[in-house]
Amino acid sequence: MSASTTDVDVIVVGGGPAGACAALVAARAGLSVVLLERGPFPGSKNMYGGVVYPRILDQLIPEWWLEAPVQRWVTRRSTMLLTDTQALTVDFRSEAWGKPPHNGATAYRPDFDHWLAGHAEAAGAQIITSTTVTGLIRDAQGAVIGVRTDRPDGDLTARVVIACDGVNSFLAKEAGLYEHTDAKHFTLGVKETLALPKEVIDERFGVRGRDGVDIEIIGATGGVNGGGFIYTNLETIAVGVVLKITKLGAQQQRPEQIIAALKQHPAIAPLVQDGELKEYSAHLIPEAGLKMMPKMTTAGMLVAGDAAALCLAAGIWLEGVNFAMASGMYAGETAVEAIAGGDTTATGLADYQRRLSDTFVLKDHRKLRRAPELVLSDRVQHLYPTMVANVVERMFRVDNPNPKPGVRRILAQERKRAGVRRRDLLRDGWTGFRSFG
Amino acid sequence: MVSSSGVRERHDMSLPSDVVACLKWVSHPGEPHDERFAGISPADRSALEFALVQAAALGTTVTAVTVGPPAAEKVLREALACGATHAVHVPVHGAMHSAHVADAIAEAVPDARWVWCGDYSLDRGTGSVPAFLAARLGAQQALGIIAVHWQGDGLVATRRLDGGRRELLGVSPPAVVSVEGATAHLRRAGLSALRTAAHAEVRTVHPAATAHADDAVVRAYRPRARALAAPVGDTPLDRLRALTDSGAAVAARGDTVTLEPAAAAARIAAALHEWGYL
Amino acid sequence: MIAVVVVRDGQLPAGGAEAVAECHGRAVLVGSGLAAAIDELQGVAIDVVTVELGAFQPAAWAARLAPLLAAEPAIVLPGSPDGRDLAPRLAALLHRPLHAGATEVGSQRIDLARNGGRELHTVTPSEHFVATLQPGVRGVAPEPTLGAPAVRAHHDVPAAVHHHDRDATVLEVQPPDPATIDLSEAPRIVGGGAGLDGRERIAQLDRVATQLGASTGATRVITDRGWVPHERQIGTTGVVVNPQLYLAFGVSGAVQHTSGLGNPDHIISVNTDQHCPMMQLADLAIVADANETLDALEALLAGGAT
Ligand SMILES: Cc1cc2nc3c(=O)[nH]c(=O)nc-3n(C[C@H](O)[C@H](O)[C@H](O)COP(=O)(O)OP(=O)(O)OC[C@H]3O[C@@H](n4cnc5c(N)ncnc54)[C@H](O)[C@@H]3O)c2cc1C
Ligand SMILES: Cc1cc2nc3c(=O)[nH]c(=O)nc-3n(C[C@H](O)[C@H](O)[C@H](O)COP(=O)(O)OP(=O)(O)OC[C@H]3O[C@@H](n4cnc5c(N)ncnc54)[C@H](O)[C@@H]3O)c2cc1C
Ligand SMILES: Nc1ncnc2c1ncn2[C@@H]1O[C@H](COP(=O)(O)O)[C@@H](O)[C@H]1O
Repeated sequence: MSASTTDVDVIVVGGGPAGACAALVAARAGLSVVLLERGPFPGSKNMYGGVVYPRILDQLIPEWWLEAPVQRWVTRRSTMLLTDTQALTVDFRSEAWGKPPHNGATAYRPDFDHWLAGHAEAAGAQIITSTTVTGLIRDAQGAVIGVRTDRPDGDLTARVVIACDGVNSFLAKEAGLYEHTDAKHFTLGVKETLALPKEVIDERFGVRGRDGVDIEIIGATGGVNGGGFIYTNLETIAVGVVLKITKLGAQQQRPEQIIAALKQHPAIAPLVQDGELKEYSAHLIPEAGLKMMPKMTTAGMLVAGDAAALCLAAGIWLEGVNFAMASGMYAGETAVEAIAGGDTTATGLADYQRRLSDTFVLKDHRKLRRAPELVLSDRVQHLYPTMVANVVERMFRVDNPNPKPGVRRILAQERKRAGVRRRDLLRDGWTGFRSFG
Repeated sequence: MVSSSGVRERHDMSLPSDVVACLKWVSHPGEPHDERFAGISPADRSALEFALVQAAALGTTVTAVTVGPPAAEKVLREALACGATHAVHVPVHGAMHSAHVADAIAEAVPDARWVWCGDYSLDRGTGSVPAFLAARLGAQQALGIIAVHWQGDGLVATRRLDGGRRELLGVSPPAVVSVEGATAHLRRAGLSALRTAAHAEVRTVHPAATAHADDAVVRAYRPRARALAAPVGDTPLDRLRALTDSGAAVAARGDTVTLEPAAAAARIAAALHEWGYL
Repeated sequence: MIAVVVVRDGQLPAGGAEAVAECHGRAVLVGSGLAAAIDELQGVAIDVVTVELGAFQPAAWAARLAPLLAAEPAIVLPGSPDGRDLAPRLAALLHRPLHAGATEVGSQRIDLARNGGRELHTVTPSEHFVATLQPGVRGVAPEPTLGAPAVRAHHDVPAAVHHHDRDATVLEVQPPDPATIDLSEAPRIVGGGAGLDGRERIAQLDRVATQLGASTGATRVITDRGWVPHERQIGTTGVVVNPQLYLAFGVSGAVQHTSGLGNPDHIISVNTDQHCPMMQLADLAIVADANETLDALEALLAGGAT
């Protein structure tokens, strides 16, 4: 390898899960790595719903579950369908998820991201905080050779820049990797953190010890298409909604009002009652999946995590941290190989795309590519919950002396009553089956 | 009393800097138990900036000193990144009396001619370390300074007195100066300086002895009952007394209401009307 | 216990009388114009030793006072600027611990305000000590029946000053600034604290204050952020004020702040924490976001409420 003229081998921009994993992998391979983070420490300003699926860490941090700063292990997942007065819940519990290697965990991002970045630092990456990247440095041919920061004497050059700067990545945009970004590609996530004593949470959600619950909610967001969630931490719960921005504007509704309404729903109110508001936060989510994904590589630069729109927000799925960690890891591996091979051009970095395609990162996105649209469609949002809830309500209703009607008849009647066309129902069913089935 | 096994290497450890900045690693008042938010207080930042400006003018260097746990090294690296040349860490665990902190600093930088401190530390906040340090170093002290004018070898410092008065002090070395926060704006460290500082040498000087502060029973602050000369009317201070007299239980006599912003504003306006201010 | 009070040109420092009262009337007055100061202590002081020493010099004074005070088990100074200067020097020379920032001093028990006034630390002194008493925390109620104190002038101070006892030179004492006077004499004050979310809030506070015919003050946290000049800092190390009306937005009410607040007739506090001291002091305590409330209040006042 020829003597380097750059300051470092790899610059990672952003100390979220994507950036931490990218820096970890590159530093472990012996490269000189600088991670630049605008907050006072990695994770300081980062928010999300509350559940991570960290199994990808099996490859990076053996027995991560012994040390990761986890609030609770998710052993119970529910999906709720709400109408104004009804609730239908599908509830699943698994003992196994409470034991290693676990499945999902609730965690606070300032803890989790800080911990993960700590591993990168221990591997030799230099983490520089309170430093915002303000632009790319490119050579005459347009290849990325470094970044500018808001510090005095703030330019830094590298052989590979890995952009992990989160949703609506300005680095990816500056590099011309996004063809178009559009408000309709994003949803807005807002969340309240409510404090409650641990025993109260345990009792209300039917869990003990470190076990926790993840509830995804459809039909909870009024006229605005979206979804809701409730997650349990040890002594707080997170209640939030994910909202379609275009609808939010059109309906002239404020996200706070939508959360407030959700908290008053008869099925939700008993869960959140008396919770003391600790924090209110909001953040964009890249929601359109494959439709909005940028090019992942250009000469001298890779994009990972939310910056690359690698986030799955498909109703009952709200996953981004796992995709961020995985794509960060693959970006790190790609950078290591490209630098070892002496080729950091777009060709030299092309293997990144293959790694993403061959693994769950893009496979899941391909599989679920129609899901977000389906879940956020007007029918699923506004018609089906009423229809399904009414069907179930009539099935369970004991209306003696009248005999119970047949289920098929109820279905047909309720479909008509809800104004759902049979053709649409069949098509949506098929889409749903192909996505989730 | 706990003695550390550290050796005293006074002469080896004396540093070429005439100018010293004492920086305490303190937790953020809003996040008292979270090390991630801990760092240099605004007052100490001002102190460091003054030290850097003065050293540049005198053609000398700055030594940053901290007495504290291993994590306190963070403040030294920040100081190095901002332009300090030397850094000395005196490792101690737990809270110490101001006098012992000052002893430890004096041992680490016995030849200092100018020592810059913050006027009080956020967590303990007695403002007494600088005076103890001046006593130990046989130095002049100028404490709680809000403005500095350089003058020849020395400086003229503006100090706050009570009743809104100000005192101008002529200060010459050796001297300890403690400054309030935001009297100077600490420069932002450059990127390459930050990178170098991460690996720069920090000297460790073990204190000759460390004595821990007295054990204290800690509780939330409650105002003390006040002796009042004036006839006791229906005033807030009156309530104070009622509060403290009735023991720990807290029940404010004024109205406590939880309101949405608009309602809060209306309530304020209504109260101001009622009391005749509006 | 004995109080040591630094007097400049006959003027008692903030908290001077309180320190004397805390020591049950026993005091050493040191400085200049002591006779005038004794008059001010009528009804508080019982037994006074005077030491005329001229201009304030903490190091030299400590050296001169140490022999006089060596036998006193508990020495209390007011936590005024001069008291805070002198106390550590005395403690250093007498080889005693200093308990700084006390809210109450007894020979067996001392309460100290710590962590920016959020906590009280109670210590049991195990040896002779020096303490500083936070001005404004105890108040004094002069006893009209008490006669003039017994006064004893102390002349026996060592004249020679050791080379170690170097002091800065007092060049000038400036009277209060008109800008500060304005605040300290303002009948209505709107105060802002760390609950404010940005620098622009100060300008907003000014606008609201103007609407109410009030002046603007702030806490130390705000001056440390550089959002307002030090002249606007209310508290023991800032301006001591005494308004009729105090409106506090996002102010926790730390002892160093409230002890500079005088004795307002009416206090309104807006804070998200119902239990902080400022809320307990208030006639109207509103649990709300200070920033949004300011927005609403500004709109309301601009809408012609005045
Ligand atoms: C309301 C909501 C709920 C969610 N719920 C979940 C959930 O339950 N589970 C889940 O797995 N995912 C969830 N997600 C998605 C998840 O938060 C993201 O997918 C994930 O955080 C992406 O990680 P990242 O590392 O790519 O980006 P981020 O976590 O956004 O990190 C980006 C980092 O880059 C830094 N940065 C940005 N710009 C710059 C710059 N110019 N210079 C320096 N630093 C910069 C930022 O400070 C930040 O630290 C949710 C998202 C939202 C909004
Ligand atoms: C020697 C010494 C001298 C000092 N001298 C002074 C002095 O002269 N003057 C002075 O003021 N201080 C002084 N201090 C500092 C003092 O101890 C306190 O740290 C300071 O007064 C606290 O200021 P604050 O109330 O603005 O901040 P904090 O104590 O941090 O309180 C902020 C308050 O805002 C509330 N809040 C937060 N967010 C919101 C929101 N959105 N809406 C509404 N409320 C919110 C919080 O609940 C909290 O009560 C001194 C300290 C020492 C040690
Ligand atoms: N442990 C310490 N290490 C370095 N400097 C300190 C330490 N403690 C206090 N100081 C300095 O003394 C000033 C006043 O602190 P204090 O006397 O604790 O209120 C601080 O602002 C620092 O400049």
